[in-house]
Amino acid sequence: MSDTARDDADVAWAHVAAFTAEIPRLKWFAAVGMALVPGVIAAAERHVAALGLAPGPVAPVAGWREAAATAQRPDWSRAWWQAEVACEQALQRQGAARFGLQPLLAALTALAEIAGGLQIHATSALAAAGIDDPALAKVAAGAAAQACHQRGLALLADSETGRVFTAKFELFAAGHWPLGIVGGTCFVF
Amino acid sequence: MSATAAAPIKSVDALNAAPEEYRLAVRKIVRSHAVNELYGARVYDEPAIALAPTPYLKWLTCRIAMEEYGHHVRFRQLGEQMGIPESEMTPEGRKALSIFEFPLKTWEEFCVIKLLADLAEIIQVEDLMKCSFMPLRNLAKVTMPEEIFHSQFGKDTCTELVKTEDGRKKVQAAIDHYFPMMPAFFGKADSANNALYRKYGIKQRTNEDMRADFLKRVRDLVEGHLKLKLPEVAEAA
Repeated sequence: MSDTARDDADVAWAHVAAFTAEIPRLKWFAAVGMALVPGVIAAAERHVAALGLAPGPVAPVAGWREAAATAQRPDWSRAWWQAEVACEQALQRQGAARFGLQPLLAALTALAEIAGGLQIHATSALAAAGIDDPALAKVAAGAAAQACHQRGLALLADSETGRVFTAKFELFAAGHWPLGIVGGTCFVF
Repeated sequence: MSATAAAPIKSVDALNAAPEEYRLAVRKIVRSHAVNELYGARVYDEPAIALAPTPYLKWLTCRIAMEEYGHHVRFRQLGEQMGIPESEMTPEGRKALSIFEFPLKTWEEFCVIKLLADLAEIIQVEDLMKCSFMPLRNLAKVTMPEEIFHSQFGKDTCTELVKTEDGRKKVQAAIDHYFPMMPAFFGKADSANNALYRKYGIKQRTNEDMRADFLKRVRDLVEGHLKLKLPEVAEAA
């Protein structure tokens, strides 16, 4: 490995370590149900564009019950989910080529263990809304952990493909929960 | 020094003073749970994310996969404290249960596995909640709420699926496929290992007793609640 490549790798590991440390400090689910500010709408539009999907409206979701119903609608976009999976797979290949598969997986495992603690944030946000729904808290925590994994992959691969998940993570970091594309609309709770 | 239910081993450090057969018995249980929790997460929970029919269920399955992996981590960490080599606490280093040799093909199979296998796990963990080795007892107590949720997830999703004729057929087919492997989860009848576990209060119940409990509870679920048929199987492993 050249000095430049080694320096790049060191920077990538430092970014992932900083990101992992940041995860517990973010305001998870603090803005759910609130109006979408222009910066949030722009991040959602960037996420959809980076996935290579046709642009469409970005819409808010009023409450937890509506969010749960939206995530269970039959007209959800399989193309959106598959596009995310394809990006994840591409980033994993790129990251593995850069660092080796085992070091990559070790970094992602450490990240996942931190992200495993996010359920408490979802439970608290639900409780603040007067809702006791352990399953929905786990659904939200699962979505948040998936976004952490994807953002970690993007940092480690350091390629253009990672823009997909940088934009998506901005939505979580802003306290929202992106629910994906359903019926042609990108819903952000 | 003798380890009994009345004289629990309170810490990993105290384990060093316990009889060798007690230490070996506890190591065997910790190793088995560490391996099987990881194996299950890899073979069933992670692949099920792709099979889940909605984003809601995909994210819920993500979370369940993380929790199952988290159970592996907890058992592995306890094993590391006890000096068990890491290589012995992954599927690569140990023989797996036979059920893990049948890769997941459908969402209905996953729901049935949560219904059946997580109930079997609950019965095992319930027993460990009275274990004479306190670190293992404490670990069982921490793990139990998530195991209960996973089993309830299996019940809830199967209850939804059997509302349609197609769903009933698929759930029944999955039960027919996976249920015959379940009694072996509890080990052999008249097991020497189990006798040792009970001698020291590491486990409380015989394999036969736990298997019979499982069969009763699973019959209530499958035939009583889901109104499906439980295949006949040999009860002794």
